[in-house]
Amino acid sequence: MSVYAYDTIDREMLADRAAEFRGQVARRLSGALSEDQFKPLRLMNGLYLQLHAYMLRVAIPYGALDGRQLRALAAISRDYDKGYGHFTTRTNIQFHWIKLKDAPDILDRLAAVDLHAIQTSGNCIRNITADPYAGATAEEVDDPRPWSEALRQWSTFHPEFTYLPRKFKIAVTGSSKDRTVARAHDIGLKLIRGAEGRLGFEVMVGGGMGRTPYLGATIREFLPAKSLLSYLTAILRVYNRLGRRDNIYKARIKILVASMGAEAFARQVEAEWALLDQASIDLPDLELERIRAAFGAARFEALPARSQAFDAARAADPALARFARNNLSAHKQPGYTVVNISLKAPGATPGDATAEQMEAIAALAERYGQDDIRVTHAQNLVLPHVRLDDVPAVFAQLQHYGLGTPNLDLVTDIIACPGLDYCALANARAIPIANDIARRFAEPDRADAIGELKIKISGCINACGHHHVGHIGILGVDKKGEEFYQLSLGGSGAEDASLAAILGPALPADQVAPAVQALVDAYLGLRTGQAERFLDTYRRLGPAPFKEAVYADADQA
Amino acid sequence: MTLQALTANRLLDGEVVFWSGAHWVEQFSDAELFDDPDPADAALATAKALSTLLIDPYLITVTDDGAAPVSFRERIRALGPTDHGELGKQAEGGAAIAAIKGAHGAARSTGRLSLIRRKP
Repeated sequence: MSVYAYDTIDREMLADRAAEFRGQVARRLSGALSEDQFKPLRLMNGLYLQLHAYMLRVAIPYGALDGRQLRALAAISRDYDKGYGHFTTRTNIQFHWIKLKDAPDILDRLAAVDLHAIQTSGNCIRNITADPYAGATAEEVDDPRPWSEALRQWSTFHPEFTYLPRKFKIAVTGSSKDRTVARAHDIGLKLIRGAEGRLGFEVMVGGGMGRTPYLGATIREFLPAKSLLSYLTAILRVYNRLGRRDNIYKARIKILVASMGAEAFARQVEAEWALLDQASIDLPDLELERIRAAFGAARFEALPARSQAFDAARAADPALARFARNNLSAHKQPGYTVVNISLKAPGATPGDATAEQMEAIAALAERYGQDDIRVTHAQNLVLPHVRLDDVPAVFAQLQHYGLGTPNLDLVTDIIACPGLDYCALANARAIPIANDIARRFAEPDRADAIGELKIKISGCINACGHHHVGHIGILGVDKKGEEFYQLSLGGSGAEDASLAAILGPALPADQVAPAVQALVDAYLGLRTGQAERFLDTYRRLGPAPFKEAVYADADQA
Repeated sequence: MTLQALTANRLLDGEVVFWSGAHWVEQFSDAELFDDPDPADAALATAKALSTLLIDPYLITVTDDGAAPVSFRERIRALGPTDHGELGKQAEGGAAIAAIKGAHGAARSTGRLSLIRRKP
């Protein structure tokens, strides 16, 4: 068992919700509900209308899945969509070719495996982001998943927080390395150890992307862990009371925190918190222990730190050696590793996985990975607990299914939103730009030599592609009817979070990949050594040499 | 003279549809092209009343030769996603699809106004 085990109440709730939506769809089709009446109801069940069809966004709670659930998603993609799904930067999955008439049946299928689309839209608390290496990395002070599950239960159908001024996103990490983009969330929570080893959270508030990006400010250095729910209640209450409802573009908590100042906001939260009956809100210790137990514990064998079988295999196979170098991460348990599965194969749409690929990954998780699968905000998947001995077999299967791309965090591991190819909000396409750049850097030795370089592409200002925190961020804009792209540099979604700054005038689509190449070439000429990442060089030297590299080339074009 | 066509998404399945003059059809090449705004507006008003059949009908501008929607967004609606050439309406192939793919001079702002919208 790897995911939180639902009980009878959870399952009844999902079944009720699916049945309720079936009735709502029937009433819409009969004309008893108008589209204006129905739209908020379908959005509350994750069903959007996009360019070509309906899109169903399914929540993957804090990005954690088991094989049974991934197989169900594969089956849904095959039976009701076009045989693939799209993993998103919110660690959800979207199906882009859904029919309204099928949506109730799909919700039933999801409910059968403890999945749903609740609160994947609307001005409520959305799916929580958590560290995809939770329970596997030695860096973490505590596993963020039980806390995330507690937050999921607390926030689901929360009557006070269902109609907030705007949507609300929470991230939880237990590690010093941030794989959640915590500072770009409405609330970022970092598990830490305080005095005498007490467990607590650093609480960051007011981050966000979209048209007005902000990094969250720490409003409490140390919140005792047991006070999590009451303190978040206080934050949400202050936001609910003071957040703007008169202007949709100023309604996120980031605008409130920025306008009040983080210190003033923190004072309001503390005052509100002091008034609350905290004991009636906070999670009892017994309940937290129940949630922890409902995840089940990973069962690790006592293994040597090195695997002779693995070492011999990678010595004999350069492809495996490259995969091991780029896609494996350290595990807390000797003899185990974290396997990152890139959904960024050359020519593929970032984040897309076919039904066959999903089933293959489910099978690998079940056989080699303690039935545990994670989704990352970078639109990749993770098998968090794999024995080093098994890596050659896992890699062989990944390769067979086109999933062995050894490019984690490299120039071709590009985040891209669906963009104008699918999304009704987009101004420009993102996927073809990602493909252009990936083609240009397709030579693996070259990508390796460039090192860590995170490119993130959004097709509109809503910033689903996280362009504000890209080492190179790319934003699609509509310039007199043509697709243009604005480059930004210097962003980071990691523990060294920063917002990217616009480099210069937007470029036409066919000049984006050449511009990225010019940026990379400039970086390679300027870096002090291979240990200095693109981001480090940019931070050391500022935009001038990069601006010159791009716009000198553009002038000649 | 500005050519226009009437489009919507079908309620039941979300499919992009066009008004042919007699039916709602799935291919742009079968759409009725209005060269007079009055009948176009009348057709739009009729479509808006079909609330159990359609979502959000609206008029789009069409290139002077009638081969393609003017806006790039509408061309993608009329074709399918560019990352999956085998999916959507473009899968049918043929000269009409090729004409939309080959159309130049996209001007999204004349396709439909107020495209920059907030996320729900």
